[in-house]
Amino acid sequence: MNYPVWFLPAIGGGTLIAFIAIVHVFVSHFAVGGGAYLIALEKKAYKEESEEMLSITKRFAKFFILLTMVFGSITGVGIWFITALVNPGGISFLIHNFVFGWAAEWVFFVLEIIAAFVYYYTFGKMDRKTHLKIGWIYFISAWMSLFLITGIIDFMLTPGKWLQHHSFWLGFFNPSFFPSVFFRTFMSFLMAGVFGLFVLSFYKNSEAKEKFVKYSSLWVIISIVLMVPFALWYVSVLPVEAKSLVMGKSPEIVRTTKVIITSSIIAFVLGLIVYLKPSLNKAYIAAIIFLAGFFIIGSFEWTREAARRPYVINKVMYSNMIFEKDLPKLQKEGFLKNAKWVSVRNITEENKRLAGKEIFIHQCYACHTIGGFNNDIKEKAKSMSYTALTKYIEKIHKVRYFMPPFAGNEEEAKALAAFIAGDLLGKEIKEVEKAKLDGKTIFEDNCSSCHEPEEFEDLISGWDKAKIRKALDMLEKLNPEMPPYNGTPQEKDTLTEYLFKLSGGVK
Amino acid sequence: MINNLIPNPDTIQVSWIYFQMLLLLTTPIHFLFMNAMFGSAGIATYLHFKGGEKEKKLAHHIAVFLPLVIAFAVNFGVAPLLFAQVLYGQFLYTSSVLMAVFWISIIAILIVGYYLAYYYDFSFEKLGNAGKWVILIAFLLFIVIAYFFTNNMLLMTLPEKFSDWFNNMGGTILASSDKVFLPKYLHDLFGAMAIGGLYVALISQLKRDKDPELAEYGKELGLKVFFWFTIINILFGLWQLLVIPSNIRTGFLGGNGIHSVIFVLALLFIILALVFAWKKNLKMTATFGILTVFFMSFVRDIVRRGYLSPYFKPSDLKVVNEYSPFIFFLIVFVIGFFVAYWMIKKAIEAFN
Ligand code: HEC
Ligand code: HEC
Repeated sequence: MNYPVWFLPAIGGGTLIAFIAIVHVFVSHFAVGGGAYLIALEKKAYKEESEEMLSITKRFAKFFILLTMVFGSITGVGIWFITALVNPGGISFLIHNFVFGWAAEWVFFVLEIIAAFVYYYTFGKMDRKTHLKIGWIYFISAWMSLFLITGIIDFMLTPGKWLQHHSFWLGFFNPSFFPSVFFRTFMSFLMAGVFGLFVLSFYKNSEAKEKFVKYSSLWVIISIVLMVPFALWYVSVLPVEAKSLVMGKSPEIVRTTKVIITSSIIAFVLGLIVYLKPSLNKAYIAAIIFLAGFFIIGSFEWTREAARRPYVINKVMYSNMIFEKDLPKLQKEGFLKNAKWVSVRNITEENKRLAGKEIFIHQCYACHTIGGFNNDIKEKAKSMSYTALTKYIEKIHKVRYFMPPFAGNEEEAKALAAFIAGDLLGKEIKEVEKAKLDGKTIFEDNCSSCHEPEEFEDLISGWDKAKIRKALDMLEKLNPEMPPYNGTPQEKDTLTEYLFKLSGGVK
Repeated sequence: MINNLIPNPDTIQVSWIYFQMLLLLTTPIHFLFMNAMFGSAGIATYLHFKGGEKEKKLAHHIAVFLPLVIAFAVNFGVAPLLFAQVLYGQFLYTSSVLMAVFWISIIAILIVGYYLAYYYDFSFEKLGNAGKWVILIAFLLFIVIAYFFTNNMLLMTLPEKFSDWFNNMGGTILASSDKVFLPKYLHDLFGAMAIGGLYVALISQLKRDKDPELAEYGKELGLKVFFWFTIINILFGLWQLLVIPSNIRTGFLGGNGIHSVIFVLALLFIILALVFAWKKNLKMTATFGILTVFFMSFVRDIVRRGYLSPYFKPSDLKVVNEYSPFIFFLIVFVIGFFVAYWMIKKAIEAFN
């Protein structure tokens, strides 16, 4: 509402961010762990006085430079660009509050680049001790970047005491900061091992290569083991809501955590096998480990993002760039009166759907596409009527914690419902008079957001009317996800009849 | 209407003056690297197409440094972009969203251009004559990137264009139809070529001992490029001066004391740089050329502020004092400076 929205109805901003972010985190963690890995390889080569090991190390350094300097650093800028395009409000807030964190990170970025170039171009030309020192400067700078960015990223998830005092340091050293820094550090070592095995699998077989393969597999298995306690610590410091999303409330997140666990086990087992028999590090085995590493890190980042819903910055700003503190005002005075970047200020019969569209763009598009492959609103709302949607929108956050509360008044909720039901789904828009409510309408208004009528054949098969009627008084007790139904006793009776019919009647 | 579109800015932690200083310090450094990258790519393209022994050698010499200057151009671009977002975020984010498709495409284009530069460097011999196509494409990609950058920097200063969003929300709005665009774009490109020439003259001096002929050729060519592109660029500069809003123009022409002094100094440095270029005095040309870049980037900042003055000035930003993070940054900066110095010293020792 403060910023314009880059509106690509069928694609959605989230998809764009995810696309750039996942490849970037993969490479950027490698850029950190790989620094330590290179020093370790170089040292090993010196210790064994092996020319061959040294030449492998140098070859790996070239690969490292080409991947991290170009792809890693430009996609890093890319994330900054894309998040600013998709969520300028959120980025602006972070930049303004943590500008000196980013600025310090930039200094380490400069050092990283200089160190990487000096390291690569002076390989074999510089005395060994100084060369290793340059390697260390690279690794420390890269790790400091990780340290600084982690503070800001995890602030978004767990702002902690910042919420009371608004202090940089409290926000930076937030509750999930330390578990996250350790977790990411080991994850970066994992990425180093994973990339190491992958690249080595293409090199000519030799004794030196075998030694390095064995050594790299150690990086994989040890890192996975060390990541576990920090992952648990990480989850334990999450706010209750996020924890409950991760622990089962969100089916999407549960699925993703399963991916993390499975991939870790695969990487661990294959890593162990390769350690015991380095000649097994064939390209396809290394590729599986590589993919497992990719899934671990990608799913982890995805989960971290998803666990933050409905916020982009927990308890501060919702995913749709609306500040939590502005909510009461918007609900009381209306969204359109207070928003920038809307053309409709007063809703009339003629502009109702246009107003609804503008509200959709500013409040829902952050997570929903229109006809796209990702979280398509047409698909999600297809069973809901205009009145059902209106009611749903007004209590959207209560029914589904992961969606932000509707920031507007009743008229605006209707406009939004009219846009979705009318323009998008082609349904009829008409206000229903209270007295005329029949069972089907009551069902559509109150239950259809989560239930299809057909489900009830199984769901309540064999229930008698008394049991159904009683259930309607205590839906919230039957399933914690269900909101209580607060219709009048009469409406409850009507609904009971309807449900009873759905269930197939007496058997 | 316009004020209904300009977003409300967030608060800042230290006085806007510090951000302004950081912006003015880091922007010209970014320009210098960016110009070196752009101009040297252009010159390498010319050399490679022209062909010949010494031309190839100079192109190769440029190629070796090209990935490095790209890295630093990007890296030193991060800092001014950060500080510009702090001071002008509400305009810059908005214009970026309006041209989002092009703005994000810069990332993809840059990755391709950057890899081409590495390819050109690492495979220079192997590529042989085909190398000219590689560097040409890289150079053309840089021209495209510059086109988008100029667009965004202009669009952010034109809030009266912001309402175009209501008719085009897909992120494909550009400012290139504005009358200032063309002279501004040409001025940026020609300036970059000129400074790129200076840079080529400078890096060829690294070959003075091993290959004096090459060093001499690089100096000659580089200064020639600097001289002629600068002469033409003065015309583009005048053109731009004529079409920018009159309140900004009169500010430079005596209306505002400080603005006029900075403008006149910038002009003076150009003239001195041109004179020394004519006399083939590389050191002095470089000194005044670099000073010109600094002062022209100040002029640019004044222009931007002039455009935005009806709506906003950085001193409007609300400050919620918290100085400790700033001090932390300064400490990191100083330490970083010495570490960088040490590394570069060691690298130079290693090569000698
Ligand atoms: C923070 C992200 C987010 C925002 C913002 C958001 N939604 Fe959702 N919404 C979701 C997710 C995620 C789902 C579906 C999860 C699933 O597949 O079960 C969903 C599901 C839905 C459904 C399907 C019914 C249901 O409960 O599953 C409707 C209808 C819906 N959203 C409407 C809206 C409307 C209207 C808005 C704007 C006022 C909105 N959403 C804003 C994330 C969001
Ligand atoms: C926010 C989503 C939501 C809404 C709205 C909702 N339900 Fe449910 N309901 C659920 C979930 C989740 C379950 C769990 C079982 C399942 O769907 O498979 C459930 C289960 C049930 C059950 C079976 C309970 C049991 O003990 O097996 C009944 C009966 C039921 N719902 C009736 C209703 C009625 C009637 C309404 C409308 C007044 C309604 N629900 C509205 C989410 C919802």
